[in-house]
Amino acid sequence: MKIRRAALAASLLSLVLTACGSGESGDSGPVKLTFQSLSDQPGAIEQTRKTVDEWNRTHPEAQVEIVPAGWDGVYDKLVTQFNAGSAPDIIHYEAAGIVPFAKDGYVADLTPYLPEAKRADVTKGVLDSVTVDGQLVGYPTEVQSYVVFANKTMLANAGVSLPTGPTMTWDQLREIAKATTKDGNFGLGWGLSSPTASFVAMAPGFGGKYFEGTGDAMKVSIGEGEMALPKLVSAMAYEDKSIMPVTLTQSGTKALAPFYGGQVAMTIQGSYQAANIAKDAPPGFDWVVLPPLAGPAGPAQASSAQTLSVNKDSAHVEQAAQFIDFFTSTENLAAINEADGLIPPTKSAREALAAKVGTKNGWDVILSSGEHLTSAPYVFADKYAQWKDTVATPAYQQFLAQKIDANGLAAQLRDGWQNISG
Amino acid sequence: MRALARPAQYLALACYLLFLGFPLLWLISASVKSSGELNSLTVSLVPEQWHWQNYPEALERQGLIRSAGNSLVVALASTALVILIALPASYVLARLKGKVRAAGIGWILVSQVFPVVLIILPLFLILRTLGLTDSLPGLTLVHTTYTLPFALWMLQGYVAAIPVELEEAGAMDGASRLRVLRAIVFPLLAPGVVATAMFSFVASWNEFFFALVLLQSPENYTLPITLNMFIGGEGKVALGPLAAGAVLAAIPSIVFFTLLRRRLTGGLMAGAVKG
Repeated sequence: MKIRRAALAASLLSLVLTACGSGESGDSGPVKLTFQSLSDQPGAIEQTRKTVDEWNRTHPEAQVEIVPAGWDGVYDKLVTQFNAGSAPDIIHYEAAGIVPFAKDGYVADLTPYLPEAKRADVTKGVLDSVTVDGQLVGYPTEVQSYVVFANKTMLANAGVSLPTGPTMTWDQLREIAKATTKDGNFGLGWGLSSPTASFVAMAPGFGGKYFEGTGDAMKVSIGEGEMALPKLVSAMAYEDKSIMPVTLTQSGTKALAPFYGGQVAMTIQGSYQAANIAKDAPPGFDWVVLPPLAGPAGPAQASSAQTLSVNKDSAHVEQAAQFIDFFTSTENLAAINEADGLIPPTKSAREALAAKVGTKNGWDVILSSGEHLTSAPYVFADKYAQWKDTVATPAYQQFLAQKIDANGLAAQLRDGWQNISG
Repeated sequence: MRALARPAQYLALACYLLFLGFPLLWLISASVKSSGELNSLTVSLVPEQWHWQNYPEALERQGLIRSAGNSLVVALASTALVILIALPASYVLARLKGKVRAAGIGWILVSQVFPVVLIILPLFLILRTLGLTDSLPGLTLVHTTYTLPFALWMLQGYVAAIPVELEEAGAMDGASRLRVLRAIVFPLLAPGVVATAMFSFVASWNEFFFALVLLQSPENYTLPITLNMFIGGEGKVALGPLAAGAVLAAIPSIVFFTLLRRRLTGGLMAGAVKG
């Protein structure tokens, strides 16, 4: 009983002490900038800290403090912070997330602070996705593409020679999947429990855009280009029977287990999984990254880059922009992307990283896929997140489970957008 | 047939306990598996190789211990405040007759209707005016406010279950109002207070959204915020360290429950004897 009373008293005392210590100091020293970072991998957290330490060492007049945050719930946090005028000076987020805030006028235009050459270094499509009304609302730091990881042994046993060349076609993928589907194993495992992101990202390869127009006038477009990939997946799953059925209802990461277990010869994953496969695959597992997939319209993929933005209400917009310039130098971008297993959005950083990592863990192919990233119209669709969660994902799931046909899918995608966008 | 009844009861109990405990066992198992094993097709409760590194990694990665300390402070303080306010208020609410009581009950119910997303912005602005955003006292106030209506509702049910005749008998024997409360009502109410304290503690310990929005400085983060940071973008999850962190996070709750469990039983027995 005494212990409990003491514990309670101690906690109340510490609470009071905390309250006493929570006042703001009125120091007039160097400029203080807060940097809300979403880095989540140990290597990336460490690299972020190193870069910030280096900035603080070389810029005593403007000191940056890292405020780590998680991806889950960060949108709600930012909504409150922006509306209450307490957002951090420098904001790590993604293009699809920051654009709506930029449209509402919460984000500073970085164009005056970043040299022309620096902007020109970014892959055009990626730069387009962070440009709102001609203003650069965030500088891209990391992007991902979808790539095919293959079990070399299973391909060899099926008599399949590894595709060479800068890209491979979806038809090639389909043929390889058919050839390696035998003895109870499947050619492809693709975690499509939340298929919208993959389908929308890879639609440009088939000429699909999904969204057209600007602002409130943005309309969903569901034509051949948008329907081609879902139809192809359905054909592979139910005509060829070359996609492991259970993976269609699993997350991307879950679909790695049958890949490691030799039950599927290939799996389509976010490029960052290369680092995980290198770490988690069983000993002796011989794997490779196949060339970037190309559809009839080429190997283009849409991607929502991770970004760094500046809070427009910051008292130190210029210094915050200078920090972003520093953080996204070629050397720093290469380092953070290496740590995170992602692709630098600038040509110079991709070259720097390629020179460092070579062909290890498929880095050469993954980095080459970064050349094909294109603009992502969905980034500018205000209701995209709502459409994705409440309309597209359930509709795709029904289609992949053969509960609705292609016409039904197209109708749901179209009508759902009209209902949401009013 | 009767001889088989007891073993059958034990078997049923064991099955039930296994059913209840399985998620925890699975969590513990996941916390000592390597990421390779967690991502393999082989599913087993007992790890092939015990991978203890998840624990130091969880502790080192995001300042888990500091966050646990913050959570403990906020949970204990808000629990104490909730009980302090709810105890007399619930008594009044349960014993009061007429429109005031109906209005009080109605207000409690209405207060549960608002979604947190709706109230977070005005709440944030109020706390900012008070200088209490990004502070543990501010979060404690919010948790207290958030938990209090349900705690009141819960506790007034316990008060209502105590026969008013017991209080009248005490008064007939010459006990003052305060003595009646101290000697008759509060001992009988002890199990309710303990149950309400448990509820308040767990509600605060697990609360995520308010802490996410109100806390800005890493040194003030509570445990749910820190654990949330093990889940990354692009679907990346550090499953092993997350499981290890979750196991560690469960320990204070278990200790708190173990300490209070005896009071819960003691209170129940006290009520039985007096009844």
